[in-house]
Amino acid sequence: MKNREQRDLFPGALEMMILRTLKRQPLHGYALAQHIKRTSNDLLQIEEGSLYPALQRLLKEQLVKAEWGISSTNRRVRTYKLTAKGAKHLAHEVSRFEKMLDGITRVLAPGES
Amino acid sequence: MMWLKRLFSRRRLYGELSEEIREHLEEKIEELVAGGMSREEAAYAARREFGSVTLTEEDSRTVWRWPRVENMIEDVRYGLRVLRKSPAFTAVAVLTLALGIGANTAIFSVVNAVLFQPLPFRDPGRLMVVWHTPPQKSFPGVTKFVVSPANYLDWRDQNHVFEQMSAVGFGKFNLTGMGQPESVEGRAVSADFFSLLGVQPVLGRGFLEEEDQPGHGNVAVISHEFWQTHFAGSRDVLGKQIKLDDKSYEVVGVAPAKFDFPYQAKLWVPLAWTEKKKAVRGNHGYIVIARLKPEIDMRKAQSEMDTISARLAQQYSADDAGWGAVVLRLNQQMFQQVGPALLVLFGAVGFVLLIACTNVANLTLAKALGRRKEIAVRTALGASRGRIVGLVLTETVLISVVGGALALLLAHFVIEAIAEFIGPQLPIAVQIGLDGWVLGFTLAISILTGFIAGLGPSWHLTKANLNESLKQGLGKTDADSSGGRARSVFVAAEVAVSLVLLIGAGLMIRTLYLLRNANSGMDARNVLTVTLGISSEKYATVTQQNGFFNHVLEQVRALPGVEVASAVDSLPLQGGSTQPVAVEGQPVVPMADQPEVAVRLIAPGYLRVMRIPLKQGRDITEADNANARPVILVSESFARRFWPNENPIGKHVKLTFLPGEASEVVGVVGDVRLNGLSVTEPVQSVYHVMAQNPETTFMRLAVRTGLPPANLISAVTEAIHRVDADEPVVDVQTMEAVVDDSIAQNRLNMILLSAFAGLALLLASIGIYGVQAYAVRQRTREVGIRVAMGAQPADVFRLIIAQGLRLATTGIVIGLAASFGLTRLMASQLYGLSATDPWTFIGVSIVLLTVALAACFIPARRATRIDPLVALRYE
Repeated sequence: MKNREQRDLFPGALEMMILRTLKRQPLHGYALAQHIKRTSNDLLQIEEGSLYPALQRLLKEQLVKAEWGISSTNRRVRTYKLTAKGAKHLAHEVSRFEKMLDGITRVLAPGES
Repeated sequence: MMWLKRLFSRRRLYGELSEEIREHLEEKIEELVAGGMSREEAAYAARREFGSVTLTEEDSRTVWRWPRVENMIEDVRYGLRVLRKSPAFTAVAVLTLALGIGANTAIFSVVNAVLFQPLPFRDPGRLMVVWHTPPQKSFPGVTKFVVSPANYLDWRDQNHVFEQMSAVGFGKFNLTGMGQPESVEGRAVSADFFSLLGVQPVLGRGFLEEEDQPGHGNVAVISHEFWQTHFAGSRDVLGKQIKLDDKSYEVVGVAPAKFDFPYQAKLWVPLAWTEKKKAVRGNHGYIVIARLKPEIDMRKAQSEMDTISARLAQQYSADDAGWGAVVLRLNQQMFQQVGPALLVLFGAVGFVLLIACTNVANLTLAKALGRRKEIAVRTALGASRGRIVGLVLTETVLISVVGGALALLLAHFVIEAIAEFIGPQLPIAVQIGLDGWVLGFTLAISILTGFIAGLGPSWHLTKANLNESLKQGLGKTDADSSGGRARSVFVAAEVAVSLVLLIGAGLMIRTLYLLRNANSGMDARNVLTVTLGISSEKYATVTQQNGFFNHVLEQVRALPGVEVASAVDSLPLQGGSTQPVAVEGQPVVPMADQPEVAVRLIAPGYLRVMRIPLKQGRDITEADNANARPVILVSESFARRFWPNENPIGKHVKLTFLPGEASEVVGVVGDVRLNGLSVTEPVQSVYHVMAQNPETTFMRLAVRTGLPPANLISAVTEAIHRVDADEPVVDVQTMEAVVDDSIAQNRLNMILLSAFAGLALLLASIGIYGVQAYAVRQRTREVGIRVAMGAQPADVFRLIIAQGLRLATTGIVIGLAASFGLTRLMASQLYGLSATDPWTFIGVSIVLLTVALAACFIPARRATRIDPLVALRYE
C-alpha cells in the first residue's frame, strides 16, 4: 500500500531495530513489537503487522533463528534469537548507520557555513 | 538443493506464519481486555494496530518466493479464465491480432531471407561485384554496366586488392539429345568461380585452370536440380556427355542443392575465351565478382579500381575513355531489385499491426472499464499498482501470443505466394519460409504487441480513483468521460494510419492502371511470341542461320489464322542491346565517345506484327537482303535528336560493332517503350535487318493472328519442328503476357498493399463502431434526458453521427499530413502520377469518411430508439 515507505523510515531500519532488540534477549513476535514501540517512546508508529515480513526476511538471510516454545503467559509462541551471522550484520549496519547519522548531523548543524 | 527443500517446506512455513499472527492478535486482545476493554473493542483495536493481516501474510510469504514468476503464473491462470469467460471478445481480439501479426510475419520472412541471412558462400562479407561505370554522356543515368573481356582480364591481373576475380557470362543453351529439346540457363564462368565463392561440388569437381583455355572448355558442372531432373540423381553422371548448342560437354561436377548463382543457373561451363575474344574491350557483357583480400577494405579496393580504370582509359582511350569501375557488396546486389518495394510493404504491415494493436487496446479498455469495480476491490485489498498492470498486460499478451500462433498459419500461405513471385528476381536462391528467425520475430512482436495493447488500458485503470470506482454501480453511468477520451484518441489514430495505407494503396492502383493503359507505341493484342535459339555449331554460316529463320517464318506465315509473322532479337518492354553508333552529320569521335542507342534486329513484317507506326519513308522488305545495300529504320526520337531540322531519309548510320559500310535510313518509325512501360523517356532506337546481319543465332518469333493467340501454339510449334526437330520451343507467350510480366512486380505490390490497406480499413471501421457503440451506451442517460426534454430522433441521430464525424475528420486530417510526408518514400514505385497525387488523396479521404459514417450508423440508430423512461431508470 501507499504509505509503506513512510512506515519504514529508511530501508532496513526496522530490521536493524529487530536485530538490536534480539541481541539483548530472544523474544517472540508480540513481545518484540511491544518492546520496539515502548523503547522508541511510541515515536515510531509501526504497524505491528509489518514486523512479520521483516522477520521472514531475517530468517531467510539466517540472521535470526526461530523456535517454537511456551511463553510466560502460557502461549504457544515462536521465539526469535540472533545468530552469529546476525550479530555481525548488526554491528556492520550500526556502524554504517552511525556514519550516516554523523554525516547528516554535520550538515544539519547550524552556523558552520 | 536449498531451494528445493524450501519449496516443499513452504506449506508448513505458511501454516506457522498464520498461527504466529493469530497468537499475536490473541495476546494483544487479551492484554487489552485485561486493561478494561470489551472483547469486541479489543479485537477491533488489535486489528487496527496490526494492520492488514492478509497483506502481512502475503508480504511475509513473498519473502520466500520468486514473486515475479509466481505472480505471473497466477495472472496467466486468471487471464485464461477471464478470456474463456468472454469468448466473443477473445475471438475478435485474437483474430484482429492474428491478421496484423500474420501480415508482419509474412513480409518479415521475405525481408529476413533477402536482407538478413548471409549469402550461402564462404565469408560472404568479402564478396564484391565490380561493375563498369559507363560515361554519362553516352549512358545518361546509368550507374552500373557489365564488363568487357579485355577489361576484366586487365582488372584481374593488375589489382592487388582482390584474392580472386571471376567473370560470369549469361546465356541459354539448347539442350538436345535428352528427350524434348529444351533451352537451359547456362553460365560461362572463369575457372576459379567455385573456389572464389567457396562452393564445393557435391559430386565431382569444379573447373581446372586448363579447362578455361580455348578448345579445352567442353566440360560442365550441373546444378543439383538439373542432376535430379535429367539424371535422376544417379551417381555415375560424372563423365556423361551432354549436348549444349550441338557441342558435347562432359559433366565433371554437380553443384550443391539450392545453388543456382547467378539467377537460376542450371549449369556452368568454362569461359574458355579465344585470343580474339580476350581482346574485346568495347563490347560489354560479363558480370565480375571478386573476393577482397583479408586486410583490404572496400574503400581501398575502390581506390585501386579507380587507379586501374584511369590507366586503362588513357591506354585504350578509343574503348575505355570515360569508363570507370565501382566496387559493391554482393549482398547489396541481392537487395537492389526487390528492396524498395519490400520496405514499403514492411512499413505497411507495421501500420496494420499498429491499428490491430489499437483495436485490441480499445476492446480491452472497454472490458476493463466494466471491471473497474473488481479492480477497485483488488486495490482496496492491497493489490499494488504493479499487480493490476500485470493483470491487464497478462491478458493482452495472452491474446496476442495466441493470435501470433494463428498468424503463423495465415503467414504460411501468404509466404508461399510471395516466395514464388520474388524468387526469380533474386540473384541466388533464398529460403523464404518460417525458419527460426521468423518464429523468433513472430514471438517477439506478439509479446510486444500484447504489451503495447495492454499499456494504455492498464495505465488508465490504475489512475482511476479508488473511492469513485467503489461508489459507482457497474460503470453504466456517464461519469467516466476520460475512458471515452482515451478511446477517441485511439480511434482518431487508427483512422489516420488507415488513411496513410489507403493512400499508399490508392497510388499503387492508379500506377498500375496508368501503366496498363500507357501508350507503349505498339499493339500487344493478338500476338504470340516464341523464342528461337540456334547453335553456331549446327548453323555455322550466316546463310544457314538466315535460312533457318526464313524457313520457320515461311512455315508459320502459311498457317491458317496467321496475319503476319516476323522476328526480333528482343521484344519490346524487355530491354535489349545498346550499341554505340556513328551518325551522319555528327562529329567523328572514338567509340567511347559515340552516342549509345537501342539497336534491334528485325525481319521484314515486324512493324506490322507489333503495329509500330511508320512515320516517314518505307518499311524494310524481303528485297533488303545480304546483297542489297544495308538499310536501317530509326525511331522518331532518334531522328529528332540527330537531325532535328533535316529529312532523316537517306542519311546514314554506322553501327560500330558491325563490319561493313554505314546503313542508309529508309524509314522513320514511332517510338516504342523498349525498356519497360514505366520508362517514359523515349528510347532512341534503330532497327536493322536480320538478312544483313553477319551472325544471328537468337530471335524472338512474333506472330499476329486473327484468332486468340493461344490457339496457335501447337501449330507454330509443329511448324518450327518441321524445320528442325531438335529446336527447343521455349518462352511461348502472348505479347499481352509479356506486358503483364513487365509490370508483375507493380501488380504484386499493388495487390499486397491493397490487401493490407483493406485490412486496415476493416479494423479501423470496427474500431469506430466499437467506440461509437460504447459512447451510446455511456450517454444513454444523457440521451434519455434530451429525449425527455423534447429532442427528436433526428437530433439524437445527428448528435451521435456528429461525434463520429469529428473523430473521423480529426483522423483524416492527421492522416493526410502524415501521407504527405510518407508517400514520398514510395515515389520510385509510382508511374505517371506524383506521390502526392491530389485525386488519390481526396478520393481516398472520401472513401474513408464514408466508411467511418457507415460504422457510426448502427450505434446512432440505436441511440434514436432509447426510451427516456428506461434510460432514466437506469441507475
